[in-house]
Amino acid sequence: MTTTRLSAITELPPDVIRPIARAVLLCCLLTLVGCGSGSGRPAKFPLNAEGRRPGEITEAQTRAVEETLGKLLGTPDEPLVSDDAGLDIERIRLATDGGRGPFRRHCVKCHGLSGGGDGPAAVLLDPYPRNFRKGLFKYTSTAGGAKPVEADLRRTLIEGVPDTAMPSFTRLPNERIDALVEYVKYLSIRGETELYLLALVVDEDEYLPVHELAALASDEGIRPAEQLWAEAPSMAVVPPPRPPTDTPELLAASIEKGRKLYAEDDAQCVKCHGPDGNGQGEEEELFDDWNKPKKGVTPQQTAELAERYTLPIQRLRPRNFREGIFRGGSRPIDLYWRIHVGLKGTPMPAAGPAPGVPGPYKPEDIWHVVNYVRSFTKTEK
Amino acid sequence: MKNKVNRRQFVAHATTATAGVALGFHAPTIVRAATDKWGDLVGRLKYDGKPPERKKLKVDKDVDCCGKFDIRDETLMAGEDGGLANVYIYVRSRKFDICPELAEAAPKQVLLDNIDCIFKPHCMSIWCDKQEFHIVNSDPVAQNVAFSPLGDVPANIVLPPKPDKAAEATWKFRRKQRIPVPIACNYHPWESAFILPLDHPYVAITAADGSFRIPKLPAGELEFQVWQERIGYMDTPQWKKGRLEMTIEPGSNDLGTISLKPSMFEKK
Repeated sequence: MTTTRLSAITELPPDVIRPIARAVLLCCLLTLVGCGSGSGRPAKFPLNAEGRRPGEITEAQTRAVEETLGKLLGTPDEPLVSDDAGLDIERIRLATDGGRGPFRRHCVKCHGLSGGGDGPAAVLLDPYPRNFRKGLFKYTSTAGGAKPVEADLRRTLIEGVPDTAMPSFTRLPNERIDALVEYVKYLSIRGETELYLLALVVDEDEYLPVHELAALASDEGIRPAEQLWAEAPSMAVVPPPRPPTDTPELLAASIEKGRKLYAEDDAQCVKCHGPDGNGQGEEEELFDDWNKPKKGVTPQQTAELAERYTLPIQRLRPRNFREGIFRGGSRPIDLYWRIHVGLKGTPMPAAGPAPGVPGPYKPEDIWHVVNYVRSFTKTEK
Repeated sequence: MKNKVNRRQFVAHATTATAGVALGFHAPTIVRAATDKWGDLVGRLKYDGKPPERKKLKVDKDVDCCGKFDIRDETLMAGEDGGLANVYIYVRSRKFDICPELAEAAPKQVLLDNIDCIFKPHCMSIWCDKQEFHIVNSDPVAQNVAFSPLGDVPANIVLPPKPDKAAEATWKFRRKQRIPVPIACNYHPWESAFILPLDHPYVAITAADGSFRIPKLPAGELEFQVWQERIGYMDTPQWKKGRLEMTIEPGSNDLGTISLKPSMFEKK
């Protein structure tokens, strides 16, 4: 697949980049159509070489990892899961449908064939599309760093992600949404297993026959990942009832409580979101877990590291509440979850309690912070 | 780079793995065994040159509190006597016996303190199945402890300033890692620490004088991994990719003093 190193062209002025980017995009799309329509060779998951020096993964290592993953999890057209995987193979097959399913039709251009967030359109987007391969998802309702529950993924698909290129798929029939949810889980488990295998084969130089690698990958890659997905529902946060705010006085009192909690030192909201809620805090260099590895200690190191990644490094901007657009959803409950469990894979921590972790905010207090955050743009009815 | 020991273990594993279902084929096991079955590994790592100056780090957040401390780089800790601290040495083999006394003696918790605007200690290890990670904030400013171990759940914990009772937290690592996991504080970018979750107790982190001891190892062939934060696997002509194969004898096994050239710590 197309994994052009695009970092080099970002040195150019924007008016030069845009036509190049469009041309690259077009080429990529054509390539994609070629493999997606079943006309050429069967589609193949590209190897996750992110962060690796050119040539770091040998051909033999590539073959070992690809064969092992193929044996256990199949191909983009013919995905496989083991019987005890806890994944619904029928849904997964519906998502792929031999290369004609909804994932290939709607998702692959941005999220890439392997869910690496590196589809041909990705380079044009800010933020980049979600990379499922690390097993991290930002918009969840689960505490303690847990995986999202299906409802979280479904909500993202149905609502889309405002302020990003992720559209709403509300018009897709439910069974297709369910199929895509299952396929995202599949790609995520596949991605985490691939990272495990690469570490074993490349970092540790374990030259093993595929059947031995497969036994290890199944035991130490796939199964632990599946367990985490299976545990997620038990970590779902059910907020306490929202305190009544049906009179202007009650609402004002709640907002005032929220303002105090926001400003005090315990959760340090101000450090990133700023005292005025405009996202202009004092933390100027923020990156998410997908971009942090691209950052070197010196600018020169960062430039060198860029050669190892498909997409150039992208900074993270804390939310500006004054714009009133919230990527994980604008409903009070959405904001509640963002504050309680944090945004996984980003510097936004969990401010509510989790097992073993008291957290700076009590659940009922989080509602006041929600009301305060909403007060920048909304007047409650 | 064929590895004799592991190779044999993998073959042994493959015969069981295809038949079994439960987790833990590759896991070390705690066994009852004769007292003469166990041996200690000791040694000392020496930085063979003038100890490098530890650079002062940029402290530009919570300056009122943190600005008064002399916070310096901890990526290479060589003492005046040449002792090289904070190097991990741990068993890399997959299947071996664990001395039951170690299971009984293992403290229930591994402590990480946020104190004087740094993480203390800087390097830790944890026996996942036996120990939990206890995180404390002793500072008058809020602290954040964030880490994302491969294949495990990520943590991004807020610890309000002391004496809030939420200034303490505990965390369970679900699985072992091959190399130490970096820990960061998103509020204070200069803060850094490492923790190595393992499924056994056979790990040492070199002390300030460079010395280390891994007690009560099972006698027999074992492979060790040596890792240092600045360079990763400590690759020397004797220790390819930081690996060291040894036959542990019952009693004491002394590696002596191992001198390491400064050039090997230049960043890759």
